[in-house]
Amino acid sequence: MERLREKPGLKRELGLLHATMIGIGGAISAGVFVMLGYAVSLAGTTVVIALVLCGIINLFTMCSYAELGAALPKAGGEYTFAKVAYGGFVSFFTGWFEWISNMFFAALSAVGFAYMIPYIIPINMPLTIVAILAITVIVIFAAINIRGVKEAGTAEAIMIIILLVILIAYIFGGISNPKTETFQLYAPEGFLGVVRATAYIFAVYLGAEAVAVAQAEIKNPSKTIPRSILLSAGVLIILYTVIAYVTLRIVPIESFSGESAPIIFAAEQAMGKLGTGILVIAGTIAALSSLNTSIMAQSRVAYALSRDGYFPKALLQVHHKFSTPHIAVVVGSIFTAVLAATGVINFVGYATDFGFIIGFALVNLSLMKLRKEKPLLNRPFKVPLYPFTPIAGIVTSLFLLIFIDPGVLSLGIVLCVLAVLAYYIRMVGYLRFRVAFGGISLGLGGFTAILTYLIAKGFMPFIDASPIMITAIIFILLFASIIQIIAGILNVTAKSNTF
Amino acid sequence: MGLAQSAIGALATVFAFILYHNFLGIQAVLNVTANDVILYMLILIVFGLLSIISGLFLVNEQ
Repeated sequence: MERLREKPGLKRELGLLHATMIGIGGAISAGVFVMLGYAVSLAGTTVVIALVLCGIINLFTMCSYAELGAALPKAGGEYTFAKVAYGGFVSFFTGWFEWISNMFFAALSAVGFAYMIPYIIPINMPLTIVAILAITVIVIFAAINIRGVKEAGTAEAIMIIILLVILIAYIFGGISNPKTETFQLYAPEGFLGVVRATAYIFAVYLGAEAVAVAQAEIKNPSKTIPRSILLSAGVLIILYTVIAYVTLRIVPIESFSGESAPIIFAAEQAMGKLGTGILVIAGTIAALSSLNTSIMAQSRVAYALSRDGYFPKALLQVHHKFSTPHIAVVVGSIFTAVLAATGVINFVGYATDFGFIIGFALVNLSLMKLRKEKPLLNRPFKVPLYPFTPIAGIVTSLFLLIFIDPGVLSLGIVLCVLAVLAYYIRMVGYLRFRVAFGGISLGLGGFTAILTYLIAKGFMPFIDASPIMITAIIFILLFASIIQIIAGILNVTAKSNTF
Repeated sequence: MGLAQSAIGALATVFAFILYHNFLGIQAVLNVTANDVILYMLILIVFGLLSIISGLFLVNEQ
């Protein structure tokens, strides 16, 4: 009974190294190994400038994260900032995008890991094996995240240190290679090409704000949070720019278009098969580290949303022994596994960028509102050049949205609508929520009944199906239709509030 | 009733997975083209998730 009465909370166990590695690991994913090719086709060798520009744009908003993270070091990151600044729908909207973006990113990383395996072990990889591998790593990293934040942070630190060692070896190997080309700035599409490349390759910087999400578990938050956020942002600028520079010196610009992973190709040119092997391992580690960070991030956002009543209270439970939000980790990991297994992620995964960029704009807006309305809030770190820096963060974030693919924008609008629906449903209470789902069940029942009728009348021809199979399908659909309609009636006529 | 509805939802979601990965050549049997698979899969997943949630309301009531 004593154990039940105690309410364990999240523990502050992450130091500067752990927090910085979470930031770097959150951003470096398998994407960096493949995105350089298309960016070079847009900007030529000036992709190096595009990467620095991206880093500066990222830094504007990271300064806001640093100030707000140090001033409000509670679980939830952007969601918590928006909650204190605006509350209500804006905070829910921010948390919603943060939650789903991290789940999409985790699923993308798991699938990215699975696609790296054939480079290490030369085997045929049907989609089923890809799905099984992706689910397996999601389960493993969910278990690590449940085991403890320190364990997850240590796993992240080890992976990122190995990754950094490999990338630094690649940089030195590339620089010392006698066959390197002379580097000259060249932009085939002029300034517009550089701008388009900047918008495209900005995705490689997304994810570094994971430090803010785990801020409730960071030791000495007033100093460690701003330091780790700014340190990881700085390391990423240097790392990406130097990698691009080295790659462009090894691989002639005209060879980029045919390479799906130009960095791996460059490593092979500079260091032979050994270089390929090492860089493939680096890509695998990058995918796993971003998976680890995303699982941690989504669970902390779900925890914070649950704490404030937007998500079910079950997600607020903290494991008695490990002090981690284990239910939130499991629920988010199930959604992530479903996304990774179905393959929908190839399409929906682009929403990740949209969600993160929206989050950037909202964090800068939160900073400006809090500076105005809560001037006495203790701020161990202050954004330099205020208000220029957050305004630049907002403007550049919105600018990036203009250049984003129209398909992604429409998907983002769908996600906004879903957020509005989820907020409204939560606010109207359990009974109305249940009645609404009763209505949906009735609709699904009617839809299934119409489908059954169409199949029975032969309006939906099956090519290779035998008459027995068609009869079986009709009966299954008829059964499903009846169940949906009865369940719908029961939910619509429900009167008691059992939530 | 809630369990039955949730089970139908779960089966629809599993079927979406089977359809996507074309187990037993199901796409050819159901006359589904490769371009339409994503659409069918999204419909099945939405159908499945809504059924599971609706079924859980009834389970929770008992």
